[in-house]
Amino acid sequence: MTVRSTILSEIYKIAVAQKRDISTLHDDLPLMDSGFDSLCFAVLVAHLEDDLGLDPFSSAEEIEFPVTLGDFIALYENAART
Amino acid sequence: MYKIVVTGGSRGLGLGIAVRLVEAGYEVIAIARKSTKELVAAQEVANRDTPRLHFRAFDLSDIDGIAALVKQLRAEFGKVYGLVNNAAVGTSGILSNARVEQIQSQIQLNTVSPIVLSKFLLRSMMAGGGGRIVNVSSIVGFTGYSGLSVYSATKAAMIGFTKSLAREVGQLGITVNSVAPGFLDTEMTSEMEQSHKDTIARRSALRRMPEVIDVANAVEFLMGEKARNITGIVLTVDAGNTV
Ligand SMILES: NC(=O)c1ccc[n+]([C@@H]2O[C@H](COP(=O)([O-])OP(=O)(O)OC[C@H]3O[C@@H](n4cnc5c(N)ncnc54)[C@H](OP(=O)(O)O)[C@@H]3O)[C@@H](O)[C@H]2O)c1
Repeated sequence: MTVRSTILSEIYKIAVAQKRDISTLHDDLPLMDSGFDSLCFAVLVAHLEDDLGLDPFSSAEEIEFPVTLGDFIALYENAART
Repeated sequence: MYKIVVTGGSRGLGLGIAVRLVEAGYEVIAIARKSTKELVAAQEVANRDTPRLHFRAFDLSDIDGIAALVKQLRAEFGKVYGLVNNAAVGTSGILSNARVEQIQSQIQLNTVSPIVLSKFLLRSMMAGGGGRIVNVSSIVGFTGYSGLSVYSATKAAMIGFTKSLAREVGQLGITVNSVAPGFLDTEMTSEMEQSHKDTIARRSALRRMPEVIDVANAVEFLMGEKARNITGIVLTVDAGNTV
């Protein structure tokens, strides 16, 4: 699975587990409008750390939380490359 | 088998909790700066068939090292289901005479460290779909005790932490509770005079002091399935000292 498909599949799984209605996922979707709250994103980051062995948010530099889903995926894709 | 991290699990209450949890069927990772004869003896019994009681040395006042500790634990043991924040120091003394560094280091170990350790281990519980955190507070966190102002502040802090975190992670199936022991016979209270201990016992409803095993039983209860609908509470185990 690619980084992108892993992220998307985790989002769907968490939406079911947390009983959230989520919007149709596309790269321009602002995360604020996705139907996920900050706790859901915390769960997503925890799962992705397990799946991908990556946590871009705990790196030494302060990272702004991404605005759109595309930014979020790009952050993980970049982390996977380095 | 559910894995539980018990800080300060090398002696005193922490060791009592670790042993009780192993007996109840959990796999326990005890953390302290150094092992003890008592812990090694308990490991010999617990690990006879399969390893159930592990020890990892770590100085929990090294806040910056906690992320790496958790990473190492995850790599070695996989998902962690529970955390017992038990390690603490109980330095006593008149506040006006206390050194500022001593105040800071006590708050660091008793409050900052368990909060940071919870932060990192929560990840594992979130990904695992549930979990348990038990914070060891103390009755002095709400009754007060002369000479223990800093220590009491750190123990009261754990109660506020417990309640807010319980609200934050409840919807993920993670419970967060505190236990508040009364005075126990451990190294922490070894300098207390016997007459003082007798007074505490006399003033308690049950006319005795609670023992390590009583508090360990309370922790085991909060860890277990039977406590699935209990979160954000303070379970006082003090033989009726504060009623
Ligand atoms: N005893 C009581 O009357 C009483 C009453 C109410 C609540 N409590 C609470 O119960 C808990 C346990 O107390 P206790 O009486 O069992 O204390 P204890 O006998 O002094 O044991 C303290 C434990 O914490 C560990 N520890 C201390 N500093 C550490 C550090 N920097 N890094 C890692 N581990 C450290 C110790 O191991 P190392 O020294 O090897 O690191 C030891 O395993 C504490 O939270 C205390 O506040 C105790």
